[in-house]
Amino acid sequence: MSSVETVKNSPWQQGARDALPLLGGYIPVAISFGLIAVQSGFSALETVLISALIYAGASQFLFIAMVASGAPLWLVLVMTLLINARHLVYGPNIAPYLSNSRWWPVLMHGLTDQIFALAHTRLPQLEEKDRMGWYISAALIAWLSWIVGTAVGAVAGAEITSRWPLLGEVMPFALPALFLVLLAPRFTSVQWTLTMLVSIVAALVLKLMGMTNSAIPLAALCGVSLFYLLQAKLKAEGEIHG
Amino acid sequence: MDNSVWLLMLACAVGTFLLRAVPLIWMRRHLVRRSISNTNEAMPVWLTVLAPTMIAAMFGVSLAPAHPGISSWLATLLGGLCTILVWRRTRSLGWPVCIGVLVYGVVVVLLKMIG
Repeated sequence: MSSVETVKNSPWQQGARDALPLLGGYIPVAISFGLIAVQSGFSALETVLISALIYAGASQFLFIAMVASGAPLWLVLVMTLLINARHLVYGPNIAPYLSNSRWWPVLMHGLTDQIFALAHTRLPQLEEKDRMGWYISAALIAWLSWIVGTAVGAVAGAEITSRWPLLGEVMPFALPALFLVLLAPRFTSVQWTLTMLVSIVAALVLKLMGMTNSAIPLAALCGVSLFYLLQAKLKAEGEIHG
Repeated sequence: MDNSVWLLMLACAVGTFLLRAVPLIWMRRHLVRRSISNTNEAMPVWLTVLAPTMIAAMFGVSLAPAHPGISSWLATLLGGLCTILVWRRTRSLGWPVCIGVLVYGVVVVLLKMIG
């Protein structure tokens, strides 16, 4: 795949380079999380531990909001796991590129949406021996930036957001820019182009309608359905013409 | 946090980790059972279609600005356009993202100065 540059650096350096754009998206959101958690009554230490151990943005916001509002604890658990259920499909998709090392399942703690998107593009381009180094480097930088951002938000979030409001407005654009670069090479045929466009538009519309947590799985299902519909249509046309 | 909330947090952390790790273990066993040299052939087709559509959906969700308005949509459009133009030229990952964020920021600042 020619989606990204040829890998010239060591896998650790390459992983770090690839993960750098994530910081623009992670740190402002982590600062917001730290600030909101402390304002909701959690201590700075508890807030940092939530980020380090759960490490899943949307569900962490839900977790503190539900606990703070006194929701039943079983419901908090169910909702957290439901939001994170989309992660079920990430591991199987990168499994063909992973060795049989027993460490890989442990390393899946770092498999966030963004690390999955990066790994799905980068792992096939790397030699098998380099993949674990690349993954650990990229995932560790993302994880640490999330933890450090949370700590900064918990301790000084209010001051930072009031002093540099523009920073929090501009830096999160790094995430859509990164996803765009990862997606660009996949527009390879009419079938794939339509599938991608429908997934993107559906997700955007669902998000604007306020369905933030279900937007990703629902939009992806729309895309997959369209993919199979187009495939059936192409097959039927092939049978008529053939 | 009292003890019950600590336990809840640990349960959420373990549950989230299992959602990420168990499917990987399952797929590795599935691939070994198939013992196919080209492992891509052992992947269910729907799964290979679902992965890019999930990334496309993440992109769609991330496009929505925190404070929707004409200026943020225009900045998103121009930032995205520059990102893709730089990607077409460099085929790299870092530069398109840097330039895209820079253009987005410049547009946001300019529009704030104008209006």
